[in-house]
Order: sequence, then C-alpha cells, then structure tokens
Amino acid sequence: MHIMEGFLPWQWCLVWWIIALPCLIYGFYQLKKVLAADREALPLLGVTGGFIFILSSLKLPSVTGSCSHPTGTGLSAISFGPWITSVICAIVLLFQSLFLAHGGLSVLGANIVSMGIVGPLAGYTVYRLLRDTSVNMYLTVFLATALADMFTYVTTSLELALAYPAETGGIISSFVLFMGIFAITQIPLAIVEGVVLALVFKYIITLKPDILIRLRIFSEEKINAARSDL
Amino acid sequence: MFEELLEDIAQKNALREVNTYLKLTAGLGAIILCLLSSSFIPPLCIAVILTGSILFLARVDARTYAELFILPLSFAVMSVAGIILIYGGEEIFWYWDPAPGFTLSITRESINQGVYVFCRVIGGMSAMCFIALTTPMTDIFVVFRQCRVPDAVIDLMMIIYRTIFILLDQVIQIYRAQVMRLGYSTYRESIYSFATLCGAAFIASWDAGDDLVRAMDARCYAGKFAILGENRPIERFPCLVVAAFLSLSTLVVIAAGTITII
Repeated sequence: MHIMEGFLPWQWCLVWWIIALPCLIYGFYQLKKVLAADREALPLLGVTGGFIFILSSLKLPSVTGSCSHPTGTGLSAISFGPWITSVICAIVLLFQSLFLAHGGLSVLGANIVSMGIVGPLAGYTVYRLLRDTSVNMYLTVFLATALADMFTYVTTSLELALAYPAETGGIISSFVLFMGIFAITQIPLAIVEGVVLALVFKYIITLKPDILIRLRIFSEEKINAARSDL
Repeated sequence: MFEELLEDIAQKNALREVNTYLKLTAGLGAIILCLLSSSFIPPLCIAVILTGSILFLARVDARTYAELFILPLSFAVMSVAGIILIYGGEEIFWYWDPAPGFTLSITRESINQGVYVFCRVIGGMSAMCFIALTTPMTDIFVVFRQCRVPDAVIDLMMIIYRTIFILLDQVIQIYRAQVMRLGYSTYRESIYSFATLCGAAFIASWDAGDDLVRAMDARCYAGKFAILGENRPIERFPCLVVAAFLSLSTLVVIAAGTITII
C-alpha cells in the first residue's frame, strides 16, 4: 500500500521529490542507452510496466483478509536492473493514482523512493549476490522479491516516521510504531509474493525459457539444468 | 478481485470536453492548497466542492466514487491512529508508558493533529479523484508532449497504457476460468492458481510486446509516436468557475489560519 494523497506535509513531499529526481534522470539515461543499443527493448519495457500495473491491481490471496497488493517490482528489477525499473515504476505509480486512486500526486516522489528505488535496489542486490553462487534459482527469486517488498515497506514506514516523529523517542519510536502497523499485513504479504513469483518463475521456465535466456537473468546452463529437473 | 479502472469513467464523464489545462489547474491547485493549509477546515471545504462537481457536473456514479475512498481511508485511519498516539502534547487525556523511551498518549494537540492530517487526506483524495475521473490519460499525454517531456518516456507511457488494457482482458478471462475449475477453493490452491495467473500474464505480455515490435516496424516506427493533439479551446465560463474556486479556496486557507477542532 502506498502513502496516499495529502498524508505528508508539503516540506516532506518536496524532499522526497528531490531525492527521487536524480535517480529517475539516471534511470532515463540508462533507458536511452538500452534503447539506442536495441530498438526492440522499448515494447518489452512497456509490457513489463503493464505487467507491474496488472500485478499490483490484483488482490493477493491474503491471510489477514486485508487489502494487499503485490508490488511486482522485484521481477522487473531482476530483469532490467534497478534504475530502469525506477522509471517504469514512476510511470506505473502515476497510472495507479489516476486509474485506481491508489497513492497520490504530491506524494508520488515519496512513493517512487520506496517502491521504485529502495525496493528494487534491495531486490537487485540480493539477486546479484546470489546469481553466480550455487544457491537454488527459485530461492534467489523468492529472496529477491520478498526483500524488495520488505524494503519498500520499511522505507514507507521511515517516510511516515520522519514526517511524524514521536514526542518521546523521536523518529525511532514512531518508526517502530509504523513498522508495527505494517508488519501485521506486510510480512505475510512479502512472503506470499516471494512464493508467488518463484512459482511464476517456474512456470516461465517450463513454458518459455527463451525469455529468461534472452534477458540474461540466469546463465543458460542453470536454466537448462532447472528444466531437466522438472 | 478486479478494480474498475477510473479511465473508463473518465472517457465518458460529462466534463470530458472541458479544456485539459483547466481541469488540471483546478485539481493540482486544490492539492497544493490542501497541503499549504494549516487548519482542518479548508481541505474539507475543497473536498465538498470537488465532490459536488464530480457527482453533479461530471455525473459520476456516487457509489463508484464512494468505493474509491474505502481502501485509502482505512489505511489513513490506521496511520492517523498512530500519529494520535505518538504525537504528544501538553494537555494529556490518556497516557501509557509500556517501555522506557516509548510513550503512548492522547492529548489535545495530538487529536488536533490527527484530525488535520485526516482532513488533508480527504481533501487531497477528492482533488486527485477529480483529475482521475474527469481527465482521460490520452488527454494528459497531449499535455506531457506540450510540456516537452522526453519522447522516449511518453512512448513508454503509451505502450504501458495500451498493454494494461490488453492484459487486463486476458487476466480476467484466465481468472474466471480458474474460478470455474475451483482454482481458489483452498488457500494453498489459490496461491498456486494466482502464481499460474501471473505467469500466464507475464508470458502473454511478452508475446504482446513481440507483436507490437512487428506492428510498429511494419508502420515505419522511428522513435516517436504521433499523437493527435486535439485540445479543446478554453471557454470563458469554465475558466471563471475554476478561477473563482481557487481564489475562494485560497481565501478560506488564509481565513481559517490555524483553527483546530478542540
């Protein structure tokens, strides 16, 4: 769940926009580089954005019965790297606020930082660390997406805590409180999303492994080995 | 399972023919005024006026509009409750000290702050819904191009926009087929079905992307989509209404000052 319109004071809206913009500009330059090298990348990036949007507009089967949406950014971070993901995510977040009334316009910067920058960066780091080790491929995908999710919510809590620090204990105790509020719904959600995306990955390996080979997510040997296990 | 896309409503709302810049000025202006206000009254006034114009001028179904607020407001209630408990203040109504360095209390100041944030969310949400429900994305693309947003970004947005509708149809079909075959009967089953659904969506979107490359090549795509830039002329009456709304709201923001609820 994103921070909604009007929740952050204007000073903090501005701060998060200022943090988000350099990352978006860097992402845009990477995007241009990719497009210059391979013209066919544009539609692929576009459909990835559509995929993230659809994924986040679906309601995940949730334990607590509350409103939970997968973020879907983990998969994109693995496929295209965190910076391009941040640009796609910014567009998806804009569409979410205008198509579904999730999130908001003034808080878009804050939501880009949590869902488009910190989450994908965390997921991508995990993926890069584990990619060339002997760790199981599905476990890598699970950890990358679940952690991307977790970090998104940790950042959201931090954004809320910074804007509304507690009188006693300051930012730290309000951070703990907001984390507590989110943890109830978000920890199970992150685990479920990790499991779902690992299963999605298995499904893609069974049906269309050439996608993964073309994106160079894992080496060909690893994917072929996984296929022969099925 | 699926939420209705506001875009469908925006494409046929009664304010569709009003100039895009006017609608965006009204919506964004209202958001900024809500944020600048330091009392809970101006956001509520803005919410009432904009809700009125959404329901009566744009003729959006009241039930659909109300449902938009359920999810964000439930989240807002939780977070506002958090703010009320930690904000602190002088005049204490209730107090609990569960651990050193961590105190929960309800005070006059914290209630004021909580109500203020909650009203700001309502005001901001109604302003955002005003833009979402009256201005279709296709009109906003034209504005982006006129504002010199880079072509690559606009093209990416348009492809994402198009893909969303293609994918959504497929996902709904697959979902219905799964429900008919008892795909969501147990929790375990539903996780598995959901994963299959997402996987199928990913592969479908990949194929859609491949088709798009071929279709674009066949039509000599060279790095820029053409958009029909038909923007409606600015008429005097709507212009006056927006100006009156914004100046009235500014007056309320100034007049309300820092009035608090208790």
